[in-house]
Amino acid sequence: MPLQETRHQFREDLRGLEAQVLGGIDLVTQQLDRAMESVSYQDVELATMVVADDDRIDGRYLEVHQGILSLLARQAPVAGDLRIVAALLHVIRCIERMGDQCVNIAKLVPLSGYESPKDKDLLDSIERMGQLARSQLSESREALSTRNVELAQDLARQDADINRLNREIFRRAVDIGDDPDVREWGMYMILVARCLERIGDNTVDIAEQVVFVVTGLFRELADASTPGIQPRTIPE
Amino acid sequence: MSAPALPAISARRRRTDKVMRALLLGGTGIALVPLILIIYYLLHKGLSAWTSSGFFTTDPNGNFFGSPGGIRSAIFGTLEIVALASLIAIPIGIGVALYLTEYGRDSAFANVVRYLIDVMTGVPSIVFGLFIYIVLVVAKVGGSSFAGWKGSLALALLMLPIVVRAAEVVLLLVPDSLREAALALGAPRWRVVSRVVLPTAAPGLVTGSLLAVARGMGETAPLLFTVSVAFGLSWNLNGVMNSLPAQIYGDITNPRSVVVTRAWGAALTLVALILILNVVARLIARRSRVS
Amino acid sequence: MTATEGPPEQTEEAPDLSLLGVKEGTGHSVKVQALQAYYGQQHALRGIDIDFPANEVTAIIGPSGSGKSTVVRCINRMHEEIPGARAEGSVTLDGVDVYGDGVDVTAVRRAIGMVFQKPNPFPTMSIFDNVAAGLRLTGTKSDNLRERVHRSLRAVGLWGEVKGRLGEPGTGLSGGQQQRLCIARTIAIEPEVILMDEPCSALDPIATLKVEELIDELKERYTIVIVTHNMQQAARVANSTVFMLDGEVIEHATTNDVFTRPKDERTERYVTGKFG
Repeated sequence: MPLQETRHQFREDLRGLEAQVLGGIDLVTQQLDRAMESVSYQDVELATMVVADDDRIDGRYLEVHQGILSLLARQAPVAGDLRIVAALLHVIRCIERMGDQCVNIAKLVPLSGYESPKDKDLLDSIERMGQLARSQLSESREALSTRNVELAQDLARQDADINRLNREIFRRAVDIGDDPDVREWGMYMILVARCLERIGDNTVDIAEQVVFVVTGLFRELADASTPGIQPRTIPE
Repeated sequence: MSAPALPAISARRRRTDKVMRALLLGGTGIALVPLILIIYYLLHKGLSAWTSSGFFTTDPNGNFFGSPGGIRSAIFGTLEIVALASLIAIPIGIGVALYLTEYGRDSAFANVVRYLIDVMTGVPSIVFGLFIYIVLVVAKVGGSSFAGWKGSLALALLMLPIVVRAAEVVLLLVPDSLREAALALGAPRWRVVSRVVLPTAAPGLVTGSLLAVARGMGETAPLLFTVSVAFGLSWNLNGVMNSLPAQIYGDITNPRSVVVTRAWGAALTLVALILILNVVARLIARRSRVS
Repeated sequence: MTATEGPPEQTEEAPDLSLLGVKEGTGHSVKVQALQAYYGQQHALRGIDIDFPANEVTAIIGPSGSGKSTVVRCINRMHEEIPGARAEGSVTLDGVDVYGDGVDVTAVRRAIGMVFQKPNPFPTMSIFDNVAAGLRLTGTKSDNLRERVHRSLRAVGLWGEVKGRLGEPGTGLSGGQQQRLCIARTIAIEPEVILMDEPCSALDPIATLKVEELIDELKERYTIVIVTHNMQQAARVANSTVFMLDGEVIEHATTNDVFTRPKDERTERYVTGKFG
């Protein structure tokens, strides 16, 4: 049977929504870059910009949310289309949360003092963690836009690295805790690490949605909150 | 409001329209003229017969002097003969139509039957009369030569194709969805026909039958060959009897003018009877429709 | 009440099936195996195998000409009423082949009822007579005819709307009421299976929803097969859905699966509206 160009408007609307979501990931990536830079250089002005720009992400969330409601009401998507819509709703929430985490990181910068960072090792770890988070972010974008299941599953494995770094940073901060100058800064870095770890978890959530869209099955990929859990199918 | 952008009708079109209207009205008028003339003559000549004494209550008596009598036997004769003809033609006709629509709709046999029925509608009525004459009258079947029932047979042959055609149309108008609904309930086909199809088609069947009866009433030729003419009132269908067409036929050439007037009265009576039948048929058709 | 439903309803009531004789949960299943059907030379069904589980609603969806109505008409042997049409294969009701030798066609149709797309109450009969028609037409002797008619009308939720005018013509009701009347007529003879061929196509949305509510209640007593070209309806009403294309079954799964993650590419294309 020849394919006809039916539901043209619907397909355009759906593509538009997906583009908006992918654009949201781009916004978060930008925010993360700037937040990490402000941590590395204790740049309070940059940090303030990050906080202010979170409005854009919130706005994007509302747009996508409204767009999805409208699409559901008017077009009654089913099957593959329905899964994409459900996934996009989930993903935009992850994006919004990641944006909030970037804001949290940025807010910690002025609190941690106006001098340059105190411990190089700790800072290195933080920066590495930031890079990992960033690469996971861009991989989740790639996996979503190309519907790549292998990439999505790989993301879960990579998240283990972030979790490991998180634990390392904690131990390092404890180690340098004897020095009262360094100690306070160290504590704030622990909080920063925590935010980055949350960002990592969110990228794994996005990966789960990619798997759901492609296979129709929802599997929890192993993450930091449930270490060592075997992937299982949620009964429908 | 701005001026409309629609072009006005050209003068030529207006003229053509007027000419066509005039032509059609004229044609209609010409067609109506003979009808009006007939009605006028009937009434003019026949009403005086109607008002003469004993017109409806006495039989024609064949006297050359004095009152020639009325047309009572003719009226009753027509009614008797046509009643018997209807009793024969209508059930058989509806039966054939039922076969054609319910059981054999597309079969080759049904198509042959349909074709034959169509041919029968074109046969001149005198041929039916001649046929019965040869087969039944000459051979003196039933103990007599001319008989009322033989006239009924001739009329029935004439009425049959009319009934079949009208009934078939009406039966086909019954939506198949009703037949399907009844079949799907688990009804055998004969019950579908008797309990659903026939009741639904009933008004139309009655109308069609009445029209066939009206047609049969007015036929002269078959009766002349099969029943001939008589004077007295008779209830014996196995013998000769009077009928309105025969009465008219016999009276119109009579030298006595009062008898000729009687012929006109009989014609008016016949037309009135047929008119009543038509009106009743139409009223029934209008009151109930097949939904 | 909107203008779509005749005179104002006296009592809006839920269909009450407990009054019918059929016990809850006594299920009758239908199994179609290797079914082939022809309209003269045209090969309409090419080997159909479907199981219709007892006391469930199974929907059949597919584009026009896919053969969905043909399947259903083969189940109650209405297909053979069409001149030139024939069917091969087997259709079993609780294990008994309805195409078997010596099987009485009218008995098959009494056990397997059918509701059509356009409501078709008998125009010469009153509301009462319409519901009783099934019993009378099949020659079923019934001492409690009145009771059975009243029960049927209650079962379809029409009782409140017509109880004062059972003698009025069946065609005097609105479209939705007429269709429910036809359903009452069908269940008055207490069939085992009810087939529905696009029962709501000719109805307005409110009447459609009422009939769908009724179907939901009916499935506790009967096994229901519904053909529909309205996918949303199949999604709302059916336990499982069959997708047909060009005389073949493409997919048969739970309704949820068909509409959230169909297995066959053609099913996905059809339900998402990429063609047809």
